[in-house]
Amino acid sequence: MTAVTIAKDTFGVFGTTAVLLVSAPRVLKPARAILDDELAAIDLACSRFRADSELSALNAAAGAAVEVSELFAEILEAALRAARLTGGDVDPTCGRALVGLGYDRDFAQVQAAGDMQPRLTGSLSGVPGWRSVQLDRTRRRVRLERGAQLDLGATAKAWAADRCADAVAAQLDCGVLVSLGGDMAVAGPPPAQSWRVRVTDDHAAGPEAAGQTVTISSGGLATSSTTVRAWMVGGRHVHHIINPATGEPARSCWRTVSVAAGSCVDANTASTAAIIRGAAALPWLHDVGLPARLVREDGTIETTTGWPRDQGPTEAA
Amino acid sequence: MRRDEVSYAVAVRDDGLRKVTRLTWRVGAVGIVCSALIAVAFGHNVQHTAPHPAAPGTILIPAQPPAPAQGAGQVTSGAS
Repeated sequence: MTAVTIAKDTFGVFGTTAVLLVSAPRVLKPARAILDDELAAIDLACSRFRADSELSALNAAAGAAVEVSELFAEILEAALRAARLTGGDVDPTCGRALVGLGYDRDFAQVQAAGDMQPRLTGSLSGVPGWRSVQLDRTRRRVRLERGAQLDLGATAKAWAADRCADAVAAQLDCGVLVSLGGDMAVAGPPPAQSWRVRVTDDHAAGPEAAGQTVTISSGGLATSSTTVRAWMVGGRHVHHIINPATGEPARSCWRTVSVAAGSCVDANTASTAAIIRGAAALPWLHDVGLPARLVREDGTIETTTGWPRDQGPTEAA
Repeated sequence: MRRDEVSYAVAVRDDGLRKVTRLTWRVGAVGIVCSALIAVAFGHNVQHTAPHPAAPGTILIPAQPPAPAQGAGQVTSGAS
């Protein structure tokens, strides 16, 4: 019997870590080249921290319509779909709220800055909302209501994982897993034992970190947490998952939610919405039939139908 | 009825049938041309409003749910 060899490449992108797994070592190098091209294009389209990105141009347009690339239009369409499917809980117009909390540059710089002063004073009373974004898909023109600022962060990262995995599988005829900051998509035929994933709070944690190991063979898996992309501003602890209703970091009973779905972007949509919805997320995830693992602040774990039983101990708070 | 009267009636009937046939063909041809023009004029709208394959109305569940496994992972899913 021939042992299946999985090849792995790890590299930095989007201010986080990317992991590429392929089912055939010979395709690792061309697969990485595909990712480099795709990710560079997505960064140029969607980065909030690049003055030359399409997103920066749109955020600076002050209510004027802007022509965008097909790539940007597709990603924005995915973000608006996420908003629609979650009743606005996952909203792409959180850009101004994040800037107000000091998250206006690469996250490493935000962390390095220590306790910052807030950029905006007073309550935002919620974000403008996804309906303030007008996307003309045929003419590829986008208009934001004056004052609205896009942040496509989480959706774009998950969408990129789906796109990269599909591209590698289609062009190189192999099985592939692409993880961007812990949100992952798989495509092509999986290895015999499927892809083995350690589900935990922090994507940068080691393979033995507190959590659970599962295998996936299709779609995507994403984890959202209030514990990782967090920083200090005005003497308080904040994180990057914004509740659109308040314009403030979500206050949730869950510290971490992991969801498996038909794609990475759908998994990310559900895991982010679950953090924002709090206790209501559990019955919602049951109703929509998504396998999910939810970790409370005290470390106790809830799972929905379809998620394998956790055989490990309760996680540390 | 006289023989020449019968021949005249048959000729008139055949002439009427030819006119109906020609008219049917013309109406059909005009219909095809109009359909093609409408398709060209509004085809892009159909493409715009048709559901995108990647944009169904619900969050998609995975074809295979996660399965239990032991030991370390090849990759870690966590927040970033």
